[in-house]
Amino acid sequence: MVLTPDFETRPVISFQHVWKTYPTGTEALRDVNLVVPEGDFVFLVGASGAGKSTMVRLLIREEKPTKGKIFVDGTELGRMKRRHLPRYRRKVGLVFQDFKLLPNLTVYQNVAFALRVLGDAEHTIHSRVTDALDTVGLSAKHQTLPANLSGGEQQRVAIARALVHAPRFIIADEPTGNLDPATAWEIMQLFLRINAKGATVVMATHNREIVDLLRRRVIAIDAGQIARDDRSGRYHDDLSKPQVRAQ
Amino acid sequence: MIYRNLKFALNSAWQSFWRNLAVSMAAVISITLILILAGVNLIVGHAFSQVLDGFRAKVSEISINVADGTPLQSVYDFQQQLSADPRVTNVRFITKSEALAQFKLDPNNLVFAQQVDGNPLDAKLQVRVAKLTDVAAIDQVARGWSGVDPSDPTNYQGEFINRMLQLSTWLGFAGVGLLAILVVVSIVIVMNTIRTAVYHRRKEIEVMKLVGATEWFVRGPFVIEGVMTGLIAASLALALLVIAYEPAVARFREDVAFIPLSYDPGFVASLARDLLLGGALLGALGSYIGVRRYVKI
Repeated sequence: MVLTPDFETRPVISFQHVWKTYPTGTEALRDVNLVVPEGDFVFLVGASGAGKSTMVRLLIREEKPTKGKIFVDGTELGRMKRRHLPRYRRKVGLVFQDFKLLPNLTVYQNVAFALRVLGDAEHTIHSRVTDALDTVGLSAKHQTLPANLSGGEQQRVAIARALVHAPRFIIADEPTGNLDPATAWEIMQLFLRINAKGATVVMATHNREIVDLLRRRVIAIDAGQIARDDRSGRYHDDLSKPQVRAQ
Repeated sequence: MIYRNLKFALNSAWQSFWRNLAVSMAAVISITLILILAGVNLIVGHAFSQVLDGFRAKVSEISINVADGTPLQSVYDFQQQLSADPRVTNVRFITKSEALAQFKLDPNNLVFAQQVDGNPLDAKLQVRVAKLTDVAAIDQVARGWSGVDPSDPTNYQGEFINRMLQLSTWLGFAGVGLLAILVVVSIVIVMNTIRTAVYHRRKEIEVMKLVGATEWFVRGPFVIEGVMTGLIAASLALALLVIAYEPAVARFREDVAFIPLSYDPGFVASLARDLLLGGALLGALGSYIGVRRYVKI
Protein backbone atom coordinates (compact mmCIF):
# COMPACT_ATOMS: atom_id res chain seq x y z
CA MET A 1 0.00 0.00 0.00
CA VAL A 2 1.38 3.42 -0.97
CA LEU A 3 1.30 5.71 2.03
CA THR A 4 2.33 8.90 0.34
CA PRO A 5 -0.65 10.01 -1.69
CA ASP A 6 -0.47 10.83 -5.35
CA PHE A 7 -3.35 13.25 -4.96
CA GLU A 8 -2.83 16.85 -5.96
CA THR A 9 -4.19 18.25 -2.72
CA ARG A 10 -2.60 17.65 0.68
CA PRO A 11 -3.89 14.78 2.86
CA VAL A 12 -6.24 15.65 5.68
CA ILE A 13 -6.60 12.13 7.02
CA SER A 14 -4.02 9.40 6.90
CA PHE A 15 -4.09 5.90 8.45
CA GLN A 16 -0.67 4.24 8.56
CA HIS A 17 -0.63 0.50 9.34
CA VAL A 18 -3.46 0.93 11.82
CA TRP A 19 -4.53 -2.01 13.96
CA LYS A 20 -7.26 -1.92 16.54
CA THR A 21 -7.88 -4.76 18.96
CA TYR A 22 -10.46 -4.26 21.68
CA PRO A 23 -9.81 -5.47 25.26
CA THR A 24 -12.23 -8.36 24.56
CA GLY A 25 -9.76 -9.61 21.95
CA THR A 26 -11.88 -8.60 18.94
CA GLU A 27 -9.65 -7.50 16.10
CA ALA A 28 -11.65 -4.63 14.59
CA LEU A 29 -9.01 -3.26 12.20
CA ARG A 30 -6.00 -5.00 10.70
CA ASP A 31 -3.21 -3.08 9.07
CA VAL A 32 -5.36 -0.34 7.55
CA ASN A 33 -3.62 2.18 5.30
CA LEU A 34 -5.57 5.08 3.94
CA VAL A 35 -5.11 8.65 2.75
CA VAL A 36 -7.93 11.17 2.35
CA PRO A 37 -6.96 14.40 0.62
CA GLU A 38 -8.49 17.76 1.44
CA GLY A 39 -11.93 18.29 -0.14
CA ASP A 40 -12.53 14.60 -0.78
CA PHE A 41 -15.89 12.88 -0.28
CA VAL A 42 -15.38 9.34 0.97
CA PHE A 43 -17.95 6.62 1.60
CA LEU A 44 -16.92 3.88 4.04
CA VAL A 45 -19.00 0.83 3.22
CA GLY A 46 -19.09 -2.70 4.54
CA ALA A 47 -21.16 -5.16 6.50
CA SER A 48 -22.02 -4.50 10.13
CA GLY A 49 -19.01 -5.34 12.27
CA ALA A 50 -16.61 -4.88 9.35
CA GLY A 51 -14.79 -2.04 11.12
CA LYS A 52 -16.44 1.15 9.79
CA SER A 53 -17.60 2.39 13.18
CA THR A 54 -14.20 1.63 14.68
CA MET A 55 -12.65 3.84 11.99
CA VAL A 56 -15.10 6.61 12.90
CA ARG A 57 -14.37 6.18 16.62
CA LEU A 58 -10.65 6.36 15.90
CA LEU A 59 -11.16 9.51 13.82
CA ILE A 60 -13.00 11.31 16.61
CA ARG A 61 -10.49 9.90 19.09
CA GLU A 62 -13.01 7.99 21.17
CA GLU A 63 -10.54 5.14 20.69
CA LYS A 64 -6.79 4.94 20.14
CA PRO A 65 -5.19 2.56 17.64
CA THR A 66 -3.51 -0.51 19.14
CA LYS A 67 -0.75 -0.22 16.53
CA GLY A 68 0.01 2.24 13.75
CA LYS A 69 -0.58 5.94 13.36
CA ILE A 70 -3.51 8.14 12.41
CA PHE A 71 -2.82 11.67 11.26
CA VAL A 72 -5.59 14.23 10.95
CA ASP A 73 -4.64 17.64 9.64
CA GLY A 74 -1.02 16.95 10.58
CA THR A 75 -1.73 15.84 14.13
CA GLU A 76 -1.13 12.27 15.24
CA LEU A 77 -4.28 11.31 17.10
CA GLY A 78 -2.75 8.45 19.09
CA ARG A 79 -0.22 10.77 20.71
CA MET A 80 -2.61 13.65 21.24
CA LYS A 81 -2.85 14.68 24.90
CA ARG A 82 -6.25 14.51 26.53
CA ARG A 83 -6.25 18.23 27.18
CA HIS A 84 -5.89 18.93 23.43
CA LEU A 85 -8.81 16.71 22.49
CA PRO A 86 -11.57 19.35 22.86
CA ARG A 87 -9.66 21.68 20.55
CA TYR A 88 -9.32 18.86 17.98
CA ARG A 89 -13.02 17.97 18.14
CA ARG A 90 -13.93 21.60 17.49
CA LYS A 91 -12.23 21.28 14.09
CA VAL A 92 -14.42 18.31 13.18
CA GLY A 93 -18.12 18.30 12.33
CA LEU A 94 -19.78 15.13 13.62
CA VAL A 95 -23.09 13.71 12.43
CA PHE A 96 -24.56 10.49 13.83
CA GLN A 97 -27.38 8.13 12.95
CA ASP A 98 -29.20 8.91 16.22
CA PHE A 99 -28.73 12.70 15.76
CA LYS A 100 -27.46 13.21 19.34
CA LEU A 101 -29.51 16.35 19.93
CA LEU A 102 -30.13 17.72 23.41
CA PRO A 103 -33.86 17.11 24.01
CA ASN A 104 -34.40 20.04 26.34
CA LEU A 105 -32.89 22.61 24.01
CA THR A 106 -34.60 24.22 21.02
CA VAL A 107 -33.28 23.87 17.47
CA TYR A 108 -31.48 27.23 17.83
CA GLN A 109 -30.00 26.32 21.24
CA ASN A 110 -28.81 22.92 19.99
CA VAL A 111 -26.90 24.50 17.14
CA ALA A 112 -25.66 27.37 19.33
CA PHE A 113 -24.35 24.83 21.83
CA ALA A 114 -21.40 23.94 19.59
CA LEU A 115 -20.33 27.60 19.70
CA ARG A 116 -21.00 28.11 23.39
CA VAL A 117 -18.39 25.49 24.25
CA LEU A 118 -15.94 27.65 22.31
CA GLY A 119 -16.88 30.64 24.45
CA ASP A 120 -18.00 32.68 21.43
CA ALA A 121 -19.73 36.03 21.95
CA GLU A 122 -23.54 36.11 21.74
CA HIS A 123 -23.66 38.23 18.54
CA THR A 124 -21.23 35.82 16.79
CA ILE A 125 -23.30 32.86 17.93
CA HIS A 126 -26.49 34.49 16.67
CA SER A 127 -25.21 35.28 13.18
CA ARG A 128 -23.51 31.88 12.70
CA VAL A 129 -26.45 29.87 14.00
CA THR A 130 -28.81 31.85 11.74
CA ASP A 131 -26.56 31.10 8.74
CA ALA A 132 -26.30 27.39 9.62
CA LEU A 133 -30.08 27.07 10.03
CA ASP A 134 -30.57 28.86 6.68
CA THR A 135 -28.19 26.36 5.05
CA VAL A 136 -30.20 23.38 6.31
CA GLY A 137 -33.54 25.12 5.72
CA LEU A 138 -34.73 25.16 9.32
CA SER A 139 -34.81 28.89 10.11
CA ALA A 140 -38.58 28.81 10.58
CA LYS A 141 -38.33 26.10 13.25
CA HIS A 142 -35.56 27.61 15.35
CA GLN A 143 -37.72 27.68 18.49
CA THR A 144 -38.94 24.10 18.15
CA LEU A 145 -37.82 21.28 20.44
CA PRO A 146 -36.28 18.19 18.76
CA ALA A 147 -39.19 15.98 19.88
CA ASN A 148 -41.52 18.03 17.66
CA LEU A 149 -39.39 17.53 14.52
CA SER A 150 -39.37 14.71 11.98
CA GLY A 151 -36.32 12.43 11.71
CA GLY A 152 -35.07 14.29 8.64
CA GLU A 153 -35.46 17.65 10.39
CA GLN A 154 -33.60 16.37 13.43
CA GLN A 155 -30.77 15.18 11.22
CA ARG A 156 -30.68 18.63 9.56
CA VAL A 157 -30.35 20.23 13.00
CA ALA A 158 -27.45 17.87 13.72
CA ILE A 159 -25.85 18.86 10.40
CA ALA A 160 -26.35 22.56 11.19
CA ARG A 161 -24.62 21.96 14.52
CA ALA A 162 -21.77 20.15 12.75
CA LEU A 163 -21.43 23.04 10.29
CA VAL A 164 -21.82 26.00 12.58
CA HIS A 165 -18.17 26.29 13.54
CA ALA A 166 -17.08 25.92 9.90
CA PRO A 167 -15.16 22.64 10.33
CA ARG A 168 -12.60 21.58 7.72
CA PHE A 169 -13.92 18.06 7.71
CA ILE A 170 -17.15 16.28 8.52
CA ILE A 171 -17.36 12.74 9.87
CA ALA A 172 -20.77 11.16 9.53
CA ASP A 173 -21.67 7.76 10.93
CA GLU A 174 -24.76 6.33 9.17
CA PRO A 175 -26.42 9.77 8.88
CA THR A 176 -29.29 8.42 6.76
CA GLY A 177 -29.73 5.19 8.70
CA ASN A 178 -32.95 6.28 10.41
CA LEU A 179 -34.46 8.15 7.44
CA ASP A 180 -36.81 7.27 4.61
CA PRO A 181 -35.29 7.29 1.08
CA ALA A 182 -36.62 10.74 0.11
CA THR A 183 -35.38 12.37 3.32
CA ALA A 184 -32.07 10.51 3.07
CA TRP A 185 -31.58 11.98 -0.38
CA GLU A 186 -32.31 15.51 0.92
CA ILE A 187 -29.73 15.00 3.65
CA MET A 188 -27.20 13.76 1.09
CA GLN A 189 -27.78 16.91 -0.97
CA LEU A 190 -26.80 18.91 2.10
CA PHE A 191 -23.58 16.92 2.51
CA LEU A 192 -22.77 17.46 -1.16
CA ARG A 193 -23.25 21.22 -0.79
CA ILE A 194 -21.01 21.24 2.28
CA ASN A 195 -18.39 19.27 0.36
CA ALA A 196 -18.67 21.63 -2.62
CA LYS A 197 -17.77 24.50 -0.28
CA GLY A 198 -14.46 22.76 0.48
CA ALA A 199 -15.08 20.57 3.55
CA THR A 200 -13.76 17.02 3.46
CA VAL A 201 -16.50 14.47 4.16
CA VAL A 202 -15.99 10.93 5.47
CA MET A 203 -19.25 9.01 5.72
CA ALA A 204 -19.85 5.49 6.97
CA THR A 205 -23.04 4.20 5.37
CA HIS A 206 -25.16 1.21 4.44
CA ASN A 207 -27.19 3.20 1.92
CA ARG A 208 -26.49 1.40 -1.32
CA GLU A 209 -28.74 3.55 -3.55
CA ILE A 210 -27.06 6.77 -2.54
CA VAL A 211 -23.53 5.40 -2.86
CA ASP A 212 -24.30 3.99 -6.30
CA LEU A 213 -25.98 7.18 -7.44
CA LEU A 214 -23.28 9.61 -6.33
CA ARG A 215 -20.27 7.63 -7.61
CA ARG A 216 -17.83 9.17 -5.18
CA ARG A 217 -14.78 7.56 -3.62
CA VAL A 218 -15.79 4.29 -1.95
CA ILE A 219 -13.65 2.44 0.58
CA ALA A 220 -15.04 -1.01 1.31
CA ILE A 221 -14.06 -2.51 4.65
CA ASP A 222 -14.20 -6.23 5.19
CA ALA A 223 -13.16 -8.03 8.37
CA GLY A 224 -11.13 -5.05 9.52
CA GLN A 225 -9.23 -4.58 6.26
CA ILE A 226 -9.65 -2.35 3.24
CA ALA A 227 -11.08 -4.65 0.59
CA ARG A 228 -11.46 -2.00 -2.08
CA ASP A 229 -10.74 1.70 -2.59
CA ASP A 230 -12.34 3.10 -5.76
CA ARG A 231 -12.10 6.71 -6.84
CA SER A 232 -15.56 6.62 -8.37
CA GLY A 233 -17.04 3.56 -6.79
CA ARG A 234 -20.23 1.69 -6.21
CA TYR A 235 -21.52 -0.04 -3.11
CA HIS A 236 -20.78 -3.50 -4.54
CA ASP A 237 -17.87 -3.62 -6.92
CA ASP A 238 -18.37 -7.25 -7.72
CA LEU A 239 -21.38 -9.28 -6.72
CA SER A 240 -19.06 -12.24 -6.26
CA LYS A 241 -17.74 -10.49 -3.14
CA PRO A 242 -20.53 -10.99 -0.63
CA GLN A 243 -18.44 -9.66 2.24
CA VAL A 244 -18.99 -6.04 1.21
CA ARG A 245 -22.72 -6.33 0.71
CA ALA A 246 -25.05 -4.35 2.88
CA GLN A 247 -26.99 -6.21 5.56
CA MET B 1 -14.47 34.17 27.61
CA ILE B 2 -14.12 33.16 31.26
CA TYR B 3 -17.08 35.41 32.09
CA ARG B 4 -19.13 33.89 29.25
CA ASN B 5 -18.27 30.34 30.36
CA LEU B 6 -19.11 31.18 33.96
CA LYS B 7 -22.42 32.70 32.89
CA PHE B 8 -23.16 29.57 30.84
CA ALA B 9 -22.24 27.31 33.78
CA LEU B 10 -24.44 29.31 36.18
CA ASN B 11 -27.39 29.26 33.77
CA SER B 12 -26.98 25.54 33.09
CA ALA B 13 -26.72 24.76 36.79
CA TRP B 14 -29.83 26.80 37.60
CA GLN B 15 -31.87 25.27 34.75
CA SER B 16 -30.68 21.77 35.56
CA PHE B 17 -31.57 22.19 39.24
CA TRP B 18 -35.18 23.03 38.40
CA ARG B 19 -35.46 20.64 35.45
CA ASN B 20 -34.43 17.68 37.60
CA LEU B 21 -36.32 18.95 40.63
CA ALA B 22 -37.05 15.52 42.12
CA VAL B 23 -33.38 14.51 42.10
CA SER B 24 -32.33 18.00 43.24
CA MET B 25 -34.75 17.88 46.18
CA ALA B 26 -33.50 14.42 47.14
CA ALA B 27 -29.99 15.87 47.30
CA VAL B 28 -31.17 18.94 49.23
CA ILE B 29 -33.02 16.80 51.80
CA SER B 30 -30.05 14.41 52.24
CA ILE B 31 -27.60 17.25 52.76
CA THR B 32 -30.04 19.14 55.02
CA LEU B 33 -30.38 16.12 57.31
CA ILE B 34 -26.63 15.65 57.45
CA LEU B 35 -26.03 19.34 58.09
CA ILE B 36 -28.65 19.30 60.86
CA LEU B 37 -26.72 16.46 62.51
CA ALA B 38 -23.47 18.36 62.00
CA GLY B 39 -25.08 21.54 63.35
CA VAL B 40 -26.43 19.72 66.43
CA ASN B 41 -22.94 18.34 66.93
CA LEU B 42 -21.47 21.84 66.72
CA ILE B 43 -24.10 23.33 69.06
CA VAL B 44 -23.71 20.56 71.62
CA GLY B 45 -19.93 20.85 71.35
CA HIS B 46 -20.12 24.60 71.85
CA ALA B 47 -22.53 24.33 74.79
CA PHE B 48 -20.37 21.77 76.55
CA SER B 49 -17.23 23.75 75.86
CA GLN B 50 -18.97 26.74 77.50
CA VAL B 51 -19.79 24.59 80.53
CA LEU B 52 -16.26 23.21 80.59
CA ASP B 53 -14.83 26.72 80.25
CA GLY B 54 -16.84 27.71 83.33
CA PHE B 55 -15.50 24.75 85.29
CA ARG B 56 -12.04 25.33 83.93
CA ALA B 57 -12.10 28.98 85.05
CA LYS B 58 -13.08 27.81 88.52
CA VAL B 59 -10.54 25.05 88.93
CA SER B 60 -7.68 26.90 87.30
CA GLU B 61 -7.76 29.30 90.24
CA ILE B 62 -6.30 27.94 93.45
CA SER B 63 -6.30 29.50 96.88
CA ILE B 64 -3.11 29.21 98.92
CA ASN B 65 -3.90 29.51 102.62
CA VAL B 66 -1.36 31.62 104.51
CA ALA B 67 -0.45 30.41 108.00
CA ASP B 68 -1.22 32.82 110.81
CA GLY B 69 1.88 34.69 111.89
CA THR B 70 3.59 34.63 108.51
CA PRO B 71 5.43 37.96 108.03
CA LEU B 72 3.70 40.19 105.50
CA GLN B 73 6.99 40.69 103.62
CA SER B 74 7.28 36.92 103.13
CA VAL B 75 3.73 36.89 101.66
CA TYR B 76 4.57 39.78 99.30
CA ASP B 77 7.81 38.08 98.24
CA PHE B 78 5.97 34.86 97.45
CA GLN B 79 3.25 36.83 95.64
CA GLN B 80 5.98 38.42 93.48
CA GLN B 81 7.62 35.07 92.87
CA LEU B 82 4.31 33.64 91.65
CA SER B 83 3.54 36.70 89.52
CA ALA B 84 6.88 36.28 87.76
CA ASP B 85 6.03 32.67 86.87
CA PRO B 86 4.94 32.53 83.18
CA ARG B 87 2.34 29.85 83.99
CA VAL B 88 0.53 32.25 86.28
CA THR B 89 -1.75 34.97 84.93
CA ASN B 90 -2.82 36.70 88.16
CA VAL B 91 -2.09 36.60 91.91
CA ARG B 92 -4.29 38.40 94.42
CA PHE B 93 -3.62 38.68 98.15
CA ILE B 94 -6.70 38.48 100.36
CA THR B 95 -6.18 39.46 103.96
CA LYS B 96 -7.86 37.64 106.86
CA SER B 97 -10.45 40.43 107.27
CA GLU B 98 -11.21 40.46 103.53
CA ALA B 99 -11.57 36.68 103.64
CA LEU B 100 -14.04 37.00 106.52
CA ALA B 101 -15.99 39.74 104.73
CA GLN B 102 -16.25 37.51 101.64
CA PHE B 103 -17.32 34.59 103.81
CA LYS B 104 -20.06 36.67 105.40
CA LEU B 105 -21.32 37.86 102.03
CA ASP B 106 -22.35 34.35 101.11
CA PRO B 107 -25.96 33.89 102.37
CA ASN B 108 -25.26 30.19 103.00
CA ASN B 109 -22.73 31.16 105.67
CA LEU B 110 -25.00 33.67 107.44
CA VAL B 111 -25.88 31.57 110.56
CA PHE B 112 -22.37 30.21 110.89
CA ALA B 113 -20.84 33.72 110.58
CA GLN B 114 -23.02 34.97 113.44
CA GLN B 115 -21.75 32.19 115.72
CA VAL B 116 -18.09 32.72 114.91
CA ASP B 117 -16.02 34.50 117.47
CA GLY B 118 -13.00 36.36 116.09
CA ASN B 119 -11.62 35.42 112.64
CA PRO B 120 -10.73 31.75 112.11
CA LEU B 121 -10.12 32.20 108.41
CA ASP B 122 -6.68 32.24 106.84
CA ALA B 123 -5.36 35.02 104.64
CA LYS B 124 -5.09 33.74 101.05
CA LEU B 125 -3.17 34.11 97.86
CA GLN B 126 -5.61 33.55 95.01
CA VAL B 127 -3.62 32.39 92.01
CA ARG B 128 -5.07 32.15 88.48
CA VAL B 129 -3.12 29.66 86.34
CA ALA B 130 -3.13 29.98 82.53
CA LYS B 131 -3.35 26.28 81.72
CA LEU B 132 -5.33 23.70 83.63
CA THR B 133 -2.46 21.26 83.20
CA ASP B 134 -0.12 23.58 85.14
CA VAL B 135 -2.32 23.89 88.23
CA ALA B 136 -0.73 20.81 89.85
CA ALA B 137 2.78 22.26 89.45
CA ILE B 138 1.76 25.59 90.98
CA ASP B 139 0.10 23.69 93.84
CA GLN B 140 3.44 21.94 94.46
CA VAL B 141 5.26 25.30 94.52
CA ALA B 142 2.71 26.61 97.02
CA ARG B 143 3.03 23.57 99.27
CA GLY B 144 6.79 24.06 99.33
CA TRP B 145 6.49 27.66 100.57
CA SER B 146 7.30 28.19 104.24
CA GLY B 147 4.33 30.51 104.85
CA VAL B 148 1.63 28.07 103.78
CA ASP B 149 -0.86 26.79 106.33
CA PRO B 150 0.33 23.19 106.84
CA SER B 151 -3.08 21.96 108.04
CA ASP B 152 -4.94 23.18 104.93
CA PRO B 153 -2.34 24.33 102.33
CA THR B 154 -4.49 24.85 99.21
CA ASN B 155 -7.93 24.12 97.79
CA TYR B 156 -6.41 22.18 94.83
CA GLN B 157 -8.59 19.29 93.67
CA GLY B 158 -6.24 17.25 91.53
CA GLU B 159 -8.59 14.33 90.94
CA PHE B 160 -11.40 16.61 89.75
CA ILE B 161 -9.08 18.49 87.40
CA ASN B 162 -7.76 15.26 85.92
CA ARG B 163 -11.29 14.06 85.27
CA MET B 164 -12.13 17.43 83.73
CA LEU B 165 -9.11 17.19 81.45
CA GLN B 166 -10.03 13.64 80.46
CA LEU B 167 -13.64 14.60 79.81
CA SER B 168 -12.57 17.59 77.77
CA THR B 169 -10.21 15.45 75.67
CA TRP B 170 -12.80 12.74 75.09
CA LEU B 171 -15.50 15.25 74.19
CA GLY B 172 -13.08 16.81 71.68
CA PHE B 173 -12.28 13.41 70.13
CA ALA B 174 -15.94 12.42 70.02
CA GLY B 175 -16.91 15.70 68.37
CA VAL B 176 -14.18 15.48 65.74
CA GLY B 177 -14.91 11.77 65.15
CA LEU B 178 -18.63 12.35 64.75
CA LEU B 179 -18.00 15.28 62.41
CA ALA B 180 -15.57 13.20 60.33
CA ILE B 181 -18.14 10.38 60.03
CA LEU B 182 -20.82 12.88 59.02
CA VAL B 183 -18.53 14.43 56.40
CA VAL B 184 -17.68 11.05 54.84
CA VAL B 185 -21.31 9.87 54.89
CA SER B 186 -22.54 13.13 53.41
CA ILE B 187 -19.93 13.11 50.63
CA VAL B 188 -20.98 9.57 49.70
CA ILE B 189 -24.68 10.54 49.73
CA VAL B 190 -24.13 13.73 47.73
CA MET B 191 -21.84 11.90 45.33
CA ASN B 192 -24.45 9.22 44.66
CA THR B 193 -27.27 11.71 44.34
CA ILE B 194 -25.28 13.80 41.88
CA ARG B 195 -24.23 10.63 40.05
CA THR B 196 -27.91 9.81 39.58
CA ALA B 197 -28.46 13.31 38.20
CA VAL B 198 -25.45 12.92 35.94
CA TYR B 199 -26.63 9.50 34.75
CA HIS B 200 -29.90 11.09 33.60
CA ARG B 201 -27.86 13.63 31.65
CA ARG B 202 -25.17 11.33 30.24
CA LYS B 203 -26.42 11.90 26.68
CA GLU B 204 -26.07 15.64 27.13
CA ILE B 205 -22.56 15.14 28.47
CA GLU B 206 -21.68 12.89 25.52
CA VAL B 207 -22.86 15.58 23.09
CA MET B 208 -20.93 18.25 25.01
CA LYS B 209 -17.75 16.21 24.70
CA LEU B 210 -18.31 15.44 21.02
CA VAL B 211 -18.68 19.10 20.10
CA GLY B 212 -15.41 19.92 21.85
CA ALA B 213 -16.34 20.94 25.38
CA THR B 214 -13.44 20.77 27.81
CA GLU B 215 -13.72 18.62 30.93
CA TRP B 216 -14.18 21.73 33.04
CA PHE B 217 -16.84 23.11 30.71
CA VAL B 218 -18.83 19.92 31.29
CA ARG B 219 -17.96 19.63 34.96
CA GLY B 220 -18.50 23.32 35.85
CA PRO B 221 -22.32 23.37 35.78
CA PHE B 222 -22.47 20.18 37.88
CA VAL B 223 -20.08 21.56 40.49
CA ILE B 224 -22.02 24.85 40.64
CA GLU B 225 -25.26 22.88 40.92
CA GLY B 226 -23.67 20.95 43.80
CA VAL B 227 -22.67 24.20 45.53
CA MET B 228 -26.20 25.55 44.99
CA THR B 229 -27.71 22.37 46.43
CA GLY B 230 -25.33 22.54 49.40
CA LEU B 231 -26.15 26.20 50.10
CA ILE B 232 -29.92 25.63 49.94
CA ALA B 233 -29.56 22.63 52.25
CA ALA B 234 -27.33 24.62 54.63
CA SER B 235 -29.87 27.47 54.74
CA LEU B 236 -32.68 25.04 55.56
CA ALA B 237 -30.61 23.26 58.21
CA LEU B 238 -29.55 26.62 59.71
CA ALA B 239 -33.13 27.91 59.84
CA LEU B 240 -34.32 24.76 61.64
CA LEU B 241 -31.40 24.80 64.07
CA VAL B 242 -31.80 28.50 64.87
CA ILE B 243 -35.51 27.97 65.55
CA ALA B 244 -34.83 24.95 67.78
CA TYR B 245 -31.64 26.16 69.52
CA GLU B 246 -33.05 28.36 72.34
CA PRO B 247 -36.07 26.17 73.25
CA ALA B 248 -33.84 23.07 73.23
CA VAL B 249 -31.34 24.66 75.61
CA ALA B 250 -34.17 25.83 77.89
CA ARG B 251 -35.68 22.33 77.92
CA PHE B 252 -32.28 20.78 78.65
CA ARG B 253 -31.73 23.14 81.59
CA GLU B 254 -35.13 22.16 82.99
CA ASP B 255 -34.45 18.44 82.65
CA VAL B 256 -30.73 18.36 83.53
CA ALA B 257 -30.36 21.23 85.95
CA PHE B 258 -26.89 20.27 87.21
CA ILE B 259 -25.30 20.99 83.81
CA PRO B 260 -25.41 24.77 83.37
CA LEU B 261 -25.99 24.81 79.59
CA SER B 262 -26.63 28.28 78.18
CA TYR B 263 -28.04 29.78 74.97
CA ASP B 264 -25.40 31.80 73.13
CA PRO B 265 -26.91 34.01 70.38
CA GLY B 266 -23.37 35.01 69.31
CA PHE B 267 -22.72 31.40 68.27
CA VAL B 268 -25.42 31.56 65.56
CA ALA B 269 -23.17 33.66 63.27
CA SER B 270 -20.33 31.16 63.56
CA LEU B 271 -22.79 28.26 63.07
CA ALA B 272 -24.16 29.96 59.93
CA ARG B 273 -20.65 30.42 58.54
CA ASP B 274 -19.69 26.79 59.27
CA LEU B 275 -22.89 25.29 57.84
CA LEU B 276 -22.94 27.43 54.67
CA LEU B 277 -19.27 26.78 54.03
CA GLY B 278 -19.69 23.09 54.85
CA GLY B 279 -22.77 22.79 52.63
CA ALA B 280 -21.07 24.51 49.68
CA LEU B 281 -17.94 22.37 50.06
CA LEU B 282 -19.93 19.14 50.42
CA GLY B 283 -21.98 19.96 47.34
CA ALA B 284 -18.93 20.90 45.30
CA LEU B 285 -16.90 17.87 46.37
CA GLY B 286 -19.79 15.44 45.95
CA SER B 287 -20.47 16.76 42.44
CA TYR B 288 -16.80 16.79 41.49
CA ILE B 289 -16.38 13.14 42.44
CA GLY B 290 -19.83 12.06 41.19
CA VAL B 291 -19.37 13.53 37.74
CA ARG B 292 -15.77 12.40 37.25
CA ARG B 293 -16.50 9.08 35.57
CA TYR B 294 -18.79 10.63 32.97
CA VAL B 295 -16.90 13.76 32.04
CA LYS B 296 -13.56 12.09 31.41
CA ILE B 297 -12.83 12.74 27.75
